[in-house]
Amino acid sequence: MKKIGLTLLATGTMMVVAGCEPGLKDSADLGFRGTGMQQVAIPGIVADSMAAIQARAASANVAGQPSEEMEPAPPGTWENVQVLGHLSEAEFNRFMLAMTLWVAQGTGQGCNYCHVVEEDGNVNFVRDDIYTKNVSRDMIRMTQDLNVNWSAHVGEAGVNCWTCHQGQALPTNYWFYTAGDQRRDIERYYVNEGRRQTERYYLDQEGIRVISDEALRGDSDNRSSIADTRHLYWVMMEMSEALGVNCTYCHTSARFSDWEESPPARVTALRGVRMVRALNTEYMVPLQSVWPDNRLGSLGDGPKIQCSTCHIGANQPQYGIPQSKGEGHPAVRQIGFPHGGSAGAAMMMDFMGEAP
Amino acid sequence: MIEYQNLFTQVQVRHAPDPGVGISDPENRIPDSGFSYWLGKIGDSQVGPVYLGWLGVLALLTGGLSIFLMGMVMLASVGWDPVQFVRLLPWLSVEPPSPEWGLRIPPLNEGGWWLWCGFLLTLSIFLWWTRMYRRARALGMGTHVAWSFAAAIWLYLVLGFIRPILMGTWSEAVPFGLFPHLDWTAAFSIRYGNLFYNPFHMLSIAFLYGSALLFAMHAATILAVAKAGGEREIDQITDRGTAAERSQLFWRWTMGFNATMESIHRWAWWFAALTVITGGIGIVLTGTAVDNWYLWGQKHGLVPDYPQVWGDPVPAVTPGELDAPWITPPPMTNPGLETSLRDGFVLPGGDIVVSFADAVDLKEVAR
Repeated sequence: MKKIGLTLLATGTMMVVAGCEPGLKDSADLGFRGTGMQQVAIPGIVADSMAAIQARAASANVAGQPSEEMEPAPPGTWENVQVLGHLSEAEFNRFMLAMTLWVAQGTGQGCNYCHVVEEDGNVNFVRDDIYTKNVSRDMIRMTQDLNVNWSAHVGEAGVNCWTCHQGQALPTNYWFYTAGDQRRDIERYYVNEGRRQTERYYLDQEGIRVISDEALRGDSDNRSSIADTRHLYWVMMEMSEALGVNCTYCHTSARFSDWEESPPARVTALRGVRMVRALNTEYMVPLQSVWPDNRLGSLGDGPKIQCSTCHIGANQPQYGIPQSKGEGHPAVRQIGFPHGGSAGAAMMMDFMGEAP
Repeated sequence: MIEYQNLFTQVQVRHAPDPGVGISDPENRIPDSGFSYWLGKIGDSQVGPVYLGWLGVLALLTGGLSIFLMGMVMLASVGWDPVQFVRLLPWLSVEPPSPEWGLRIPPLNEGGWWLWCGFLLTLSIFLWWTRMYRRARALGMGTHVAWSFAAAIWLYLVLGFIRPILMGTWSEAVPFGLFPHLDWTAAFSIRYGNLFYNPFHMLSIAFLYGSALLFAMHAATILAVAKAGGEREIDQITDRGTAAERSQLFWRWTMGFNATMESIHRWAWWFAALTVITGGIGIVLTGTAVDNWYLWGQKHGLVPDYPQVWGDPVPAVTPGELDAPWITPPPMTNPGLETSLRDGFVLPGGDIVVSFADAVDLKEVAR
């Protein structure tokens, strides 16, 4: 009898652990009364997350202020500057130092993470035969692109490298294609015959609508299946987790498909999905042949982005702290152009012994 | 000393096991009987005799085989790793065939196992139903238990057999698995525009909650008059004593009407049976006749107009921006890989590559 009791206790504990999150919940009612438009959060977890973000962001304070009236540097200032030609020399140097904080901080290599160190110990800022520099250039182009063309999602303040990288060479929560029988797939997706890789939505998937516009089957041309709907459901759950919100942050509780009654955040999210698809298509996939093997997934594809790459569990990346914004960094506030003129001799600088 | 076993009676009688009333075919009984002190705490302390018979044996065999197959399919899906099997069991699943198979029979690994598990489970349930029916008849009882079981089987068949056939594809059926079948429920409601606006779903919920209410009222009433012998319900019907009269007067006092000792059980039976009968009707109409229950509710005056409490999106929506095609199954190709092959990118060799994603636990980071 004792055994049965213990078994019941163990089973019950397992189910509680599997089904529940510990901690006191708090909720806020965001919609019309009685419609269940509630946001549920665990304040302790949110507070911990905010504290961690604040602690990390202390190292992202970029010295100096952007120049009010910035003139592009005179031709011939630099050689091989392809996407930052709109910057003054001061702003250019400020941005380079900022990037060592934003991206290369975790590597401890400073400038050398992306710039070639010659055999004599000098840093060659012109040479391109290091993959990190080529990737960085495309990432700068990408950031300029999304700040200029995707303000519908990232807002007027925009983003910078820190928003996703947070001091690390690799941002978190990027994704690869995986084959269904792989261990990593088991860990992350609980192996489920019907469960497709949900991140595909951020590159492949054309549509995700499943709910009909007509009441009756006979009037509707919608033939989406339950299998499709479960795929949609998992994509939405991933999005919900990526943003740290529940369904009703974007959807009206009674009718998920209705745009008229949905909170405006849903439109922002839709634009975000389109942005992610565009950035994956235009920047991440073409970089695949640039990355070395150890940066590629098990099927040989390069890393790709999704909502959680930048959001990391917050409805606004890093809860909108100033360090996560593109504001104050002219380098990523407009589409850059190549710097004109030929190289000056001053390009060769000795950075040995000088902290970046 | 004769004592009725109820919650107020702590005495457990030990005697030679009672074989029960004589029936026509006693040879199928498993004659061993015993007593359990703990079962005596919640019911009759005598365990057995069990009547198994060939229906029971076949039902246990087919049902057991079905559960065993489900377990093996789940174990195979985690690469036969017993640790992962235990850890991920709540998420593991035996999936029905995908939509492109329609009602055809696919290979085992593409939904064939689901068909086998479903077939064996259904066979087992039907054998068990027949057993319930025949055991009731053998004891000279009515067959009420069998028919209430049949009501539940109706809902089971609607979900896994009748509706998939009406829809023309097995993929509409429910997967076998703990969370997967819950995910299916959520997906089903989402796909068909919120099942809460399905009137048969409403009826089913009303009968479900009503069943709980009736159960509580009846149980409380009988317990309340147990010290006057109220749990001897049959006695109280034929030879009304103080328990029946007090309990019935109690309900006339408090709500002006009372069920009788007999009719309360008809109330309970019908509420329980109608929960699954109406539920099955609601499911069978979903997708076959009605594609969006919310819009159906709007057409029939079920849905109120709620005031707008949000502002407009910034920047404003442009024409066509919110239109999107219906979901289509994602292509089996990997565009990134194709691009890389076009660019002459060489796939990494057979060596194990340390993937950076391995170091990143999505959930941990998301916290």
